[in-house]
Amino acid sequence: MDRRKLSLGLTAAVLLVGTALAGCSGGNGGAATPSDAAESGKGAAASGQTPADAGDASSGKTIKLEIIEGGNNLPSPDQDIIKQELDKALNLDLNLTVYASGDDYKNQLNVRMASGNFPDLFSVDRQQLIEFSKQGLLLDLTPYMDKLQQVETFIGEDSLKKGMVDGKVYAISKSPQIPYNTYFIRKDWLDKLQLQVPTTIEELKAVSVAFANNDPDGNGKKDTFGLTGGKLGGAFAPVFGAHGVANPGQFYVKDGKVVNSLYDPAMKDALAFIKSMIDTGSVDPELLANTALQHQEKAIKGQAGIIYIDWPNLTKEQFVEQIATVNPDAEWIQIVAPAGPGGQYDGAWDIGATPGRYAIPKALEKDPVKLQRVFDLLNYISDPEGGSMLVQFGVEGTHYTLDGGKVVMTDKAGDVGYSWLYQFTGRPEMEYLQAKFAKQAAFIEFANDQPRIQALNGFIDLPEGFVAADADRYIEEELAKFAYGKRDLAEYDDFLKTLETTMNYKALVDAAVQQLNALGYGN
Amino acid sequence: MVRNLEDKLFNAVVYTILAFCALIAVFPLLYVVSVSITPFGEVLRNGGFILIPREITFTAYKTLLTGSNLPQAFKVTVIITVVGTAINLVLTGLMAYPLSRKLLPGRQFFLLMIVFTLIFSGGLIPTYLTVKSVGLLDTIWAMILPNAIWSFNVLIMKSFFEGLPEELFESARMDGAKEFRILLQIVAPLSVPVILTIGLFYVVGHWNEFFQAIFYVTDRTLFPLQVIVREILMQSQQPLENADNVMPTQTMQMASVMIASLPVLIVYPFIQKHFTKGMLLGSIKG
Repeated sequence: MDRRKLSLGLTAAVLLVGTALAGCSGGNGGAATPSDAAESGKGAAASGQTPADAGDASSGKTIKLEIIEGGNNLPSPDQDIIKQELDKALNLDLNLTVYASGDDYKNQLNVRMASGNFPDLFSVDRQQLIEFSKQGLLLDLTPYMDKLQQVETFIGEDSLKKGMVDGKVYAISKSPQIPYNTYFIRKDWLDKLQLQVPTTIEELKAVSVAFANNDPDGNGKKDTFGLTGGKLGGAFAPVFGAHGVANPGQFYVKDGKVVNSLYDPAMKDALAFIKSMIDTGSVDPELLANTALQHQEKAIKGQAGIIYIDWPNLTKEQFVEQIATVNPDAEWIQIVAPAGPGGQYDGAWDIGATPGRYAIPKALEKDPVKLQRVFDLLNYISDPEGGSMLVQFGVEGTHYTLDGGKVVMTDKAGDVGYSWLYQFTGRPEMEYLQAKFAKQAAFIEFANDQPRIQALNGFIDLPEGFVAADADRYIEEELAKFAYGKRDLAEYDDFLKTLETTMNYKALVDAAVQQLNALGYGN
Repeated sequence: MVRNLEDKLFNAVVYTILAFCALIAVFPLLYVVSVSITPFGEVLRNGGFILIPREITFTAYKTLLTGSNLPQAFKVTVIITVVGTAINLVLTGLMAYPLSRKLLPGRQFFLLMIVFTLIFSGGLIPTYLTVKSVGLLDTIWAMILPNAIWSFNVLIMKSFFEGLPEELFESARMDGAKEFRILLQIVAPLSVPVILTIGLFYVVGHWNEFFQAIFYVTDRTLFPLQVIVREILMQSQQPLENADNVMPTQTMQMASVMIASLPVLIVYPFIQKHFTKGMLLGSIKG
């Protein structure tokens, strides 16, 4: 056999595979041109070539819109009734993609922003909003506000501010939510031990101790405890509130001044009280380790008698059913925030927070037809006469009916349980929840009516050089030490000092006070 | 065969340890299976822990297979796995074979290039740009082609081919066979263990496809199984203060895990015997 021929054949084989590879994963710049050209060609064709005929958006061709956000449970497009209705109404081909994990969403968004393959509408958090707008990636919506009248009316003036950076609107913020959390307590346990509903934090402590020691479930075993919740700030939010302080790290106005809860003298008292409560041994020993809904599970299984939780996770049919299977006698009731030396607040409620913000890429500026359709979509779902009802409740007559102007959900309402994914501008929260969760109406109102300290953290933009994650972790760790007696409360000032010097917390506080003063808080 | 006491004792100890290990391996699996077929109420009443189900129901499976994205995702994953693995094996084989022949000019250079990709990678964004520029975004190929060849597997296959006796090739050549014929009719049949082993690597890799789907695909109908399963599992992890969210029960979660892993569990035992052999042979440097 000819050696040269052989080696030639082998080289050819390697080259063949090599080329195939390059086509797939190598940086083959040549291949980029045709597909890119095709893509932009498509875009130009769809948009009617020139910006001149940008006006007739509704009569034009079907336009493809791509939207990404966090979420779950979206059905595939052929079963997505909301998508189909929106497509029909606005002559669109909506492609919504949701990511169940925040990290996945972040990765997807970052890689797309970095590579210039922008979605047409996407959700951003405050930090991303600032970053992307500084990089010039987001469309400044200020000049377009007259085209977004409907949206502005729907979300309200205050929400609009939450999407601003340096006085310019870079994102549409959803209309605000209402607070859901309260203490829930086992009424049947109280009755069994002949106790009253606690009205002060001292009584709360006493009930918690009784639940842990006096065998409220009557099985003869000491297998219950009093209070549970998600971490310190979760389980004890009303206790902080009873001392007149917000949760650790939150800013609020007290005596006409902006304060940070960690610097509030009452914080030490609150921690001392929490420590005394933990010392009784009646608090969930795994409190600090509770992630996600572990505290809820414990409550449902009958391990704990007091829990600080949102109403959906304890009163929705699904959970009521679960509670009934484990213990048919269990009766959970909401209680009014217990009173303490600093008043009576059911924790704090961040009035600066928003349930979500949606931004439009700057690149869309060059495609006015498409941009107009995005505006159309946002206006449509914000219009009570238009699509607002659709994205809230589904199709009238199928998923809901109107009874004298009041929305009544039908048996089929569950088919569009994902409709919230399309509520890009939010919803009138109270009316929405009352209609959609008619059976929980009382719980919803109760939770909403509780007095709360108005926290302002949502309004604060973090100063440069301050790493929130580091500081938050340090605060959580040290406060846990104080609460569990691993560190003496006398060292509280040292803790603050370390926080200021090592974690640069001072920068945050200064920036926060300045920013909040500028917004008219604490002047 | 005569055994003395020491042998017996040794065996007893080994068997005990092995039995214990087997138990540890079976335990979580049994737990997942049991919870997935037990009514959720029963699970709760037992504090969330069930090993031997007393009541059996397949409602969780029924709900997942009729009312969710799982069946669609299952289809996608099967296509990715079958097509992907076929492409992987053909390309890996075509790459590894020439590199295993010492006659190949520039062999060291090509090998170096391959090893280079093992150590350095372009990074996420350049890769994304490449996938985008060749028009693969939002297609099923985005989950197949970017990983068409795993360099490491090329090296394993190469070592295996190098282990084949040189005389075999010589005699084949003497009988007039050309390179492709040698590859197809002599090398391939002899390489079943390594092909199956590497094939299994690829199969499992494709079956667990997740990363590329998250980045390159936004069309929900193209999401593979693991993305949907992760979604179901993530849903129960979040303390969503979102009243609309529907929490999947533990039974549902376990059922989705079972649906996602069952096929691999079924296939595995059939390839396993080749698997050990292929691994061993491939690992010996020729």
